[in-house]
Amino acid sequence: MTPLPDSLLESVAAAAVREGLADAIFTRLKTPIGTLLIVSGPSGLVRIAFESESEDRALAEVAAALGPNVIGSDREMVAPRDALSEYFEGDTHELDLPVDLRLMQAPFRRSVLEELRQVPRGRTVSYGELAARAGNPKAARAVGTACARNPIPIVVPCHRVLPGTGALGNYGGGPERKRALLELEGVLPRPLSP
Amino acid sequence: MLPPFWTLVESHGDELLVHARKLAGDAQAEDVLQDALLRALRAYPRLRHAEHLRAWLYRVTTSAAIDHHRRRRQEVPTDDPPVVATHDRYDDGAFESLIEPLNETAQTALRLRFVDDLDYDGIAARLGCSTVAARQRVSTAVRTLRESYA
Repeated sequence: MTPLPDSLLESVAAAAVREGLADAIFTRLKTPIGTLLIVSGPSGLVRIAFESESEDRALAEVAAALGPNVIGSDREMVAPRDALSEYFEGDTHELDLPVDLRLMQAPFRRSVLEELRQVPRGRTVSYGELAARAGNPKAARAVGTACARNPIPIVVPCHRVLPGTGALGNYGGGPERKRALLELEGVLPRPLSP
Repeated sequence: MLPPFWTLVESHGDELLVHARKLAGDAQAEDVLQDALLRALRAYPRLRHAEHLRAWLYRVTTSAAIDHHRRRRQEVPTDDPPVVATHDRYDDGAFESLIEPLNETAQTALRLRFVDDLDYDGIAARLGCSTVAARQRVSTAVRTLRESYA
């Protein structure tokens, strides 16, 4: 069977948004680190998922928190699409997209992610330091958990959190993606092109 | 827990479009499906359980197709020869597929009303019954049709 025409899907999405029927809107964006699933709620981005994650699970998580009327549309998501595309093209402006951290329920983890938003492009922070900024210097481990469960990676820049050892450390999207993002931001040298 | 609406659209959208084509014809199918998906979105958050969602989407699409037929009937300009006008519009077999689940009596009543575009006096004369009975037969057929897809 042939898939539905995009024009039909976009018309349904536009009408749904106009009528206020959409609880959340998602789009898929191709980037150098794979296709990203990007989901917005009424007050900003709620979820970004890497290709390596289960898309069904990510959307189900959103539906459980925001409501079942989750719809897909590239057109209704043009602002975050453009901002992220420009970021991946090397634009040095901060990714200034509104975020809604409601998928991160634990209060300390949420405050970690809010602190993390203050770490600018090109800078990094250690787990211990971020723990201190979030109000509990001993909670480096909890910071690790907060980063691992960050619902909005890239825009909430958990790739900028590094272990004190100088190693790259863990990343929800895998160390390769963390390396690629830090290279893009000029923190790590770019590999020589072959 | 209801699944995200769009996962239903991505899994069943293509077959729903086929269904809409059968009921409304190629030219109208996308309009019907678009209307159906919007109706579904309006009702979806109020569903009490997540069972038989595919069947539910088929019903919503059928219902949208029935209303589409009705609306288009009303759009037929009255000073045009009605029979020709309606035949032109429904000459794609869509109407026949739509009324297929009904018994012969009900199908005949609907054909006289919507395809031949007869008024109730005309239908009564064809069926050999009273005007009131003709009206009743058509409205029962429409109701049965809705329920057969419900």
